[in-house]
Amino acid sequence: MGYNLSGKRVWVTGHRGMVGSAVLRALARRGDLEPLTATHAALDLRDRDAVWRWMAQSRPQAVFAIAARLGGIMAHAAMPADFLYDNLMMQANVIHAAHSFGVEKLVFIGSSSAYPKLAAQPLREDSLLTGALEPADEWYAIAKIAGVKLCQAYRRQYGSDFICAMPANVYGPHDNFDLRSGHALPVILRRFHEATERGADAVTLWGTGRPRREFTHADDLADALIFLMQAYSDAAPINVGAGVDTEIRELAAIMREVTGFRGGIVYDTGKPDGPARKLLDSSRLRALGWTPKIALRDGVASLYRWYLENLASVRGAGCAGG
Amino acid sequence: MARYDLAGKRVWVTGHGGLVGSAIARALAARGDVDIVTATRAELDLRDQAAVGRWMARVKPQAVFLGAAKVGGILAYDARPAEFLYDNLMIEANVIHAAHLHDVEKLLFLASGCMYPKFAAQPIHADSLLTGPLEPTNQWYAVAKIAGLKLCQAYRRQYGRDYIVTVPNNLYGPNDSFDLDNGHVLPSLLGKFHEAKLNSAATVTLWGTGTPRREFMHVDDMADALIFIMEHYSEAPQINAGSGRDVEIRELAAVIQDVTGFDGRIVYDGSKPDGPPRKLLDSSRLLALGWQPKVPLREGVAALYRWYLQNAADVRGRAAA
Repeated sequence: MGYNLSGKRVWVTGHRGMVGSAVLRALARRGDLEPLTATHAALDLRDRDAVWRWMAQSRPQAVFAIAARLGGIMAHAAMPADFLYDNLMMQANVIHAAHSFGVEKLVFIGSSSAYPKLAAQPLREDSLLTGALEPADEWYAIAKIAGVKLCQAYRRQYGSDFICAMPANVYGPHDNFDLRSGHALPVILRRFHEATERGADAVTLWGTGRPRREFTHADDLADALIFLMQAYSDAAPINVGAGVDTEIRELAAIMREVTGFRGGIVYDTGKPDGPARKLLDSSRLRALGWTPKIALRDGVASLYRWYLENLASVRGAGCAGG
Repeated sequence: MARYDLAGKRVWVTGHGGLVGSAIARALAARGDVDIVTATRAELDLRDQAAVGRWMARVKPQAVFLGAAKVGGILAYDARPAEFLYDNLMIEANVIHAAHLHDVEKLLFLASGCMYPKFAAQPIHADSLLTGPLEPTNQWYAVAKIAGLKLCQAYRRQYGRDYIVTVPNNLYGPNDSFDLDNGHVLPSLLGKFHEAKLNSAATVTLWGTGTPRREFMHVDDMADALIFIMEHYSEAPQINAGSGRDVEIRELAAVIQDVTGFDGRIVYDGSKPDGPPRKLLDSSRLLALGWQPKVPLREGVAALYRWYLQNAADVRGRAAA
């Protein structure tokens, strides 16, 4: 096994997103390879012919297939066709073109939402397709399942060294803070920030606050993805998680402290909770020798600093910054 | 339920050279009140996103039968998983997305019985989708079909599109693939028996144990059901369309032996994969809407054999007899 990235031309798709930008930063720090990127304006990954042309011209040797259309529960429920179609096309175009142009190694980023809603926790890789999906994000989940199966199919038919990494809730710089389409952690952080600015009495959060989630910092994930590209070569997807889960209420307490908010916390139980618990069993990754480095409190504190520094340009936060 | 009347519509039958598509085109032509549009593979590669978009913009169909698919048998799925998954994903996504962009009024996507879990309770109800592991041998094809089903549901939900999904079971009829490696069970068996008869062989060897039970439907029944469903069904869940009766492979072999007049012995090669033990769809929903199959298995097999004899030189997967 063992694939060495040194000296390779490495394409990072979705490099402006949270995970892609983290991978790009980590690759740049190594300094021993040539990262390749294409902005959305330069290359629409849903466009088969454009992806083909780009691949023919850029000839990457390794690909981090990270680009995806992402959203929160409400966004998935409101725009199922966009999430399903866009993600299916992006991944199929990149994976098929990677095969066609002889890419040596590809890491596809799946998602823990591809696992069944009621799968035993912590979630093992072999629970894939053993039961019903969470309906709230099944559209995204189906796309990710198809992506996992594409990687396995090209490996099986052509011997392509394409692997799948399955992260859980990832957070970090360039996260989506949009109140409607964003992820739980950045959205909650923003609510606390805005409540603090307004001197509000209370912050209202969706759901009961009881669901447990595993939060993995994007820099940890990027580190793990680069590790896996070099150390893992198997058809089975591999989980990438921090290994601990936290109740939303606990997370809220950390946020309250980090933002300095002095009011109360109210839970709007009329809003959906999503799955009760989502913790990945990342023991296979641990056994390969990788461990996370960023504790949740440190990660949230650094994300808050990043948010304050980037208020004007943060995704979904608007110009005024609340 | 809102009825959709096909009369006077421009109807695109995808895959019209194939087993199902050709049957739909025949049935629509027999009606005589619709404008059937088709494109050969040379004219339009359905995997080509831009080409599908251009074709749809130019032809502007009002209704689409999306039966086109890359299909094979158990060994073919096992040997070429990437082709079966990628090609089918692209065919579905391109046609369904372009249908939405160009305001196709009604689209019927033909899924597959293999998208249900391997151990789904029999007969298989629509609700069993995604409740358990797939049959590994054809999971690539199954995942593509599940994605197509979800695309139809997603465009219905987000854009109010009247795109529906029908699940057939094993189909047989004219224009099927008789290829011994890549074909379907029934035509493969028919081809084997015919060849054995011509060669005066002492035995015919069949794959597996012969004990799996399968539901077969003649493709003319399927076409009739699909047209009925397009006009009478408009809901998000997929609707099963089976004949309602399953037979053991051994029973089927006896029918084929009889029809072809082969007088040797049948041997089962238990080292070859069987596939799922039983696959019978619960088609009660379709029957409740008022549709009934019309072609009994024995008559269907006899008709297929007559067609095979008349067309043997042109049959897919078989050199001139």
